[in-house]
Amino acid sequence: MTTQQSDHGRSENTILQDIVVPRCSGKTIRVERGQVFRIIAHEGKQVADLTFLNADNYKEHFAAEHSAVLNSLQGNGGYYRLTTLYSKPPFENPMATVVDDLVGDGGRGGVRAGHFMMCHCSRRLLEHLGFPGTRTCSDNFADAFREIGLRQEDTYDETIFNVWMNSWIGDDGGMLSEVPLVQTGDHIDFLAEMNLVAVVSVCPDETSPCNDFKAKSLRFQVLERGLCANGADA
Amino acid sequence: MSAECIVDFVIPACRGKAFKLASGQKLRVIDEEGKQVAGAMFFNAHNYKEQFMAEFSGGLNYFQPPDLGSIGSHYRLGELYSKVPYENLMMTVTHNELRDHFLGTHCSKLWMTLLGAPDHRSCSDNFAEALAEFGLELEDVYSPSIMNIFSNARIDTEGDGRLLINPPRSVSGDYVEFLAHMDLLVAISACPDDVTAMNDHSCKSIRIQIYS
Repeated sequence: MTTQQSDHGRSENTILQDIVVPRCSGKTIRVERGQVFRIIAHEGKQVADLTFLNADNYKEHFAAEHSAVLNSLQGNGGYYRLTTLYSKPPFENPMATVVDDLVGDGGRGGVRAGHFMMCHCSRRLLEHLGFPGTRTCSDNFADAFREIGLRQEDTYDETIFNVWMNSWIGDDGGMLSEVPLVQTGDHIDFLAEMNLVAVVSVCPDETSPCNDFKAKSLRFQVLERGLCANGADA
Repeated sequence: MSAECIVDFVIPACRGKAFKLASGQKLRVIDEEGKQVAGAMFFNAHNYKEQFMAEFSGGLNYFQPPDLGSIGSHYRLGELYSKVPYENLMMTVTHNELRDHFLGTHCSKLWMTLLGAPDHRSCSDNFAEALAEFGLELEDVYSPSIMNIFSNARIDTEGDGRLLINPPRSVSGDYVEFLAHMDLLVAISACPDDVTAMNDHSCKSIRIQIYS
């Protein structure tokens, strides 16, 4: 375990887990309520595909597109940026809150360029695009779910949080994509509002600008938030 | 031999209904009164875990070379696919003059609560009641993102990407026709949202017809 000094020198985050997940693979990571799940761009312009399960009831899982609409109604997000991550109906509980998000807030360019609340790549999509047999996020998620004894058939909303994916829906309903704006070392922090299993796919796409035509590894941390000298939350 | 209408019924305003559709049959979802959205879920009748996935279908429709978007897009579906890992063709759209759909979530308890109407009926209630007849619960539906037939909602192409809820452009008698490629369980919700412009601020009925 290591501690992290903030820029202000008054708060310390304790790093509980610090892992680099290899390119083209999936993984589950346990995050307890109150902890922070951090995704760090390890090799520049890349995409992390992310969903969450309630660790105490796997039927309650994150619904990205539903969350985009709810955030839109609340005025604090949409399809390209989220503040609150909600679970699917009938649950509709806040699962996590985005508490630090340089790219999503437009820090590397426009807000639209930040993220994308939409589906991940799959076998059939890559077949349509002329790349049959290519590894996809669908394979990564299947591997990740297997770690906790689940099959892809039994769980999850395929609309996921495509972290740093610079895609959007055009006026004609088509999906448009540009290279991500994220830079090595940039991160996004999710504060867990319940006990969570984070399920991640390190996007294996090398066919499109979505992942800058190259699969790369990603870094993940689980943090215990530090306290200020006066005992208040950092 | 022309197709024969074998089922014809009306789903009252603010209600849902689930029913079976056999492979090879055609389903017509008809806007009975105009400017009314019909939310649609589809399940493999022999394996309810194989569920229609709306957004995913939008992507699969759009990304079909050589002409991107010729089959469909996020706002107009030509082919309906099931979720991963199945990815099977469930239905094709055989009539779609208006071409307005929104592939996105249905209204829910939290949707209504955020709009200041916490006790208002939502599509979640309609689907829960409809699916209960077939032993399914809302918990068993993996994604609330469905095919909102006749919806003219759009995603902002800038900023946060907010949902822009425009009133439907459909008029009485407009319909979308689907050909089933497998035996299906269909659930339709006559969307009860009169708070937003989703249904032009009034809830109306939806007509269902099945052709042999």
